[in-house]
Amino acid sequence: MSAAALAANAYTAAARKYGGDAAGLAAPNGGAKPDQSFGSLLAQAMDSVSETGKAADTAAVNSTTGRTDMIDVVTAVAESETAMQTLISVRDRVISAYEEIMRMAI
Amino acid sequence: MDLMRSISIAASGLRAESGRMRVISENLANADSTARTAGGDPYRRKIVSFDSQLDRDLDAQTVTLGRIKRDTSAFRLEYEPGNPIADAKGYVKMPNVNPLVEQMDMREAQHAYEANLNVIGAARRMIARTLDILRG
Repeated sequence: MSAAALAANAYTAAARKYGGDAAGLAAPNGGAKPDQSFGSLLAQAMDSVSETGKAADTAAVNSTTGRTDMIDVVTAVAESETAMQTLISVRDRVISAYEEIMRMAI
Repeated sequence: MDLMRSISIAASGLRAESGRMRVISENLANADSTARTAGGDPYRRKIVSFDSQLDRDLDAQTVTLGRIKRDTSAFRLEYEPGNPIADAKGYVKMPNVNPLVEQMDMREAQHAYEANLNVIGAARRMIARTLDILRG
């Protein structure tokens, strides 16, 4: 849940950077907080995604030993899948925007 | 995110309905369980109840299986004079389980379970469609 929100935050922060500063990703005073680069936001989102992934894994392992409900596994896996896909979409989007900028004729 | 919360709430519904299914299977399996000793009571039908509960993490009302109550209706009497647990008149008390009623309850549990599954499916589709915008 939180991973999706975090990824969305990362995306809006990145979008704001592009709007304010054409130099893009590395700009220190671009978007949200001065020290929060897109990289760190992405890293945070990554952590969060891997956390949900771990939760899904634990649920799956526990279900094989009969300790967890199958329903818990399904919801945990669905949640981690959503978080993962959100992150992947954000990444793809940002990278394509970055490439677009790099292709710019100077 | 509200859609993920919907999935969690629907999952609580799935859990509750599977608990109901468990109780129904207990009732059906014990439809002929008599008392161990003469004069004792046979299996008494169990009745499920659902409680709505505020989940603080989700900030929403989820459903849980409430207390399982016992059906207080009268037992069936079967005439079996040879049975060691029969009473003086030759009747054996049988459980107050009606397989037809259980069948209907089971159908209800099944449909409620599927309804919750549909909620999960719809919420997931909505999330996926929203993500499609990002993929563009």
